[in-house]
Amino acid sequence: MELLQLTINGVALGAAYALVALGFVLILNATGAVNFAQGDLVAAGGFLAVALAGLAPVPGILLLPLVAVLMAGVGLAVSAIAYWPLRDRPPVSVFISTIALGIIIQNGLNGLFGAEPRSAPPLFSGGYVEFFGLVVPHQSLAIMSIAALLVGGVHVLLTRTQLGRMLRATAQDREIAAALGVPVGAMVALTFSLAAALAGVAGLLLANQFFITPTHGTDFIVKAYIAVVIGGWGRVGGALAGAMLVALFETVVAAWADYAVATGLLYATMLAILVLRPQGLFGEAGGRRA
Amino acid sequence: MKPGNVIPAISALASLALFCGAAFAVVPSYPVLVPLTGFLSLEGTSQRNGAVMALEEDKSVAYGVYDTGTSPEVAVNAMERVAHEVHTAAIIGPILGTQMLAMLPLAAEYQIPLVTISGTAKLTEMGNPWIFRFFPGDAVTKVAHARYVVEELGRKRPAILYQTTAYGQSGRGHLETTFRSLGAVPAYQEGLDVSVKDMTPALSKAMAAKPDVLVLHMHSGPTALLIRQARTQGIDLPIVAGSAMHQPTTAGLLEPAELKDVCAETGSSPISGGSPEMERFTAEYRANFGSDPDAFALAQYDATRMLLVARHTGQVGGAPLRDWLASTEFKGLAMTYQSDGKGNMAHDAVIVCYDGKTRLPHIAKRYEGVDLGN
Repeated sequence: MELLQLTINGVALGAAYALVALGFVLILNATGAVNFAQGDLVAAGGFLAVALAGLAPVPGILLLPLVAVLMAGVGLAVSAIAYWPLRDRPPVSVFISTIALGIIIQNGLNGLFGAEPRSAPPLFSGGYVEFFGLVVPHQSLAIMSIAALLVGGVHVLLTRTQLGRMLRATAQDREIAAALGVPVGAMVALTFSLAAALAGVAGLLLANQFFITPTHGTDFIVKAYIAVVIGGWGRVGGALAGAMLVALFETVVAAWADYAVATGLLYATMLAILVLRPQGLFGEAGGRRA
Repeated sequence: MKPGNVIPAISALASLALFCGAAFAVVPSYPVLVPLTGFLSLEGTSQRNGAVMALEEDKSVAYGVYDTGTSPEVAVNAMERVAHEVHTAAIIGPILGTQMLAMLPLAAEYQIPLVTISGTAKLTEMGNPWIFRFFPGDAVTKVAHARYVVEELGRKRPAILYQTTAYGQSGRGHLETTFRSLGAVPAYQEGLDVSVKDMTPALSKAMAAKPDVLVLHMHSGPTALLIRQARTQGIDLPIVAGSAMHQPTTAGLLEPAELKDVCAETGSSPISGGSPEMERFTAEYRANFGSDPDAFALAQYDATRMLLVARHTGQVGGAPLRDWLASTEFKGLAMTYQSDGKGNMAHDAVIVCYDGKTRLPHIAKRYEGVDLGN
């Protein structure tokens, strides 16, 4: 029973990490560059939810669309500042510029909201359900549901729509896509918007369950990076599987060993995968690593 | 006097007058070097607010606020900058121990007293006479923490959950030593990284060891997370937490019901009141900064006030100010401060508890002169 409880907790945590990793992978595929500000965009989404809840104290589910839309706008700004001016430079330039942008976001949040941990409103209510001795907070159920909906939605967008085909064409080969008439610049900007919207949603969900501070983004990006390396560089499905694995190490394995050992085992697993299967569990979507 | 000597004499007198005028116009400066960004910015902001409140009340001194971030290099650069200003009387140093350790040699070199609320034990164990610590260290607070658990709650099987940071490990060491000296062997101990989100595994293992109390020594957010997750899991053991729990922002993350049977150690609890002076401080702090003061803000306020009292008694820097700080007893709002000969000025701690109905803690127990053998 305890194992089941820990697994449920792990899946809920993994669902939130998956949203962070998904946005990370989308930008990676579209630009070939690592967006190290993705974690800070999660923190920004969490603080945006906190600020909106201060203006209109309503359940988080009503704030969710607004947070997503506003963060999509932030994503456009991120692409204009950290990516577009450097688009023809080596990927490491964008890597560095997103680190710088992340630090600016951290300090901006610190200046605007202060350093103290904050809590965003729950999606529906702050209670929990009990069945067969298991305790599952409403927010955990909401996180799993929202993450499943969004991941499914992104999958449908990428595989079943013309827009998705253009996004994938841009990700696979920008020059050929441009030659075929795909508005590559708009597709890249749209990808940044989508990734930031996902980060915003993750921020709202995480800020209630686990609180949020301006420096939390660093934790999230490290988890997302590990998830993507484990799952396969640029693989959406791999990122989801990697996120779940990271979360299960933090819950199930941590219940068997202590946290320090569980963390060590997670990194050992990642190293083993890099040695034995460098392309990750699901293989690489692209050939470049930052 | 020959006429030829008159002009130089007048000139010399005029120069002397100008010099004296300038000397009388000197305004001593008390730079505030604190972490306003990074992982300790919450505590650093409290430090800044407490210091600024005292300096603004006095109005006769100068000060500047410098962000030291989280790296020793930034703190040292800031100190180099202010130390070369001739009017620097004393420096209000950061709460971050690694920064203070890097600044200590400079304090001795430039002969400028460093006043801080950093809890790092080593700061006052290095034989540097220029450091003065106004917040009780682990040797005070953790002893009070463990004594309250054993002597007041009557618990003998504590489960200790702590942070894996230097702060967490230092506190855990003092807790374990004190518990053992009181005949209470910890039933379980585990260190948690600050990035851990789900603490259910640690709680499950702790509960399997059948403890009779949960003892926490963690930072603000993780403390609130653990308490929430413990209550969600139906764990109704008393929880006695570290000083992070006393911070109003930590309590603000939890529902009042989740705080039932939760206590915390701290140097003081301004929002709990206790005297008209304390209530005035809390009201003015709220008016100035729009937030509730915590023990860090009050300790830094007291420390800065002691510097200002020294200034009004003629001690405006260097060895005279150092010696005055080392030898003078000062009655602050939180407690009475006096150096133990190593620069440790604070020797009292309090335990605050929540009643489960509000987020306002009440003082459950005072421990005075803990490291002085009381």
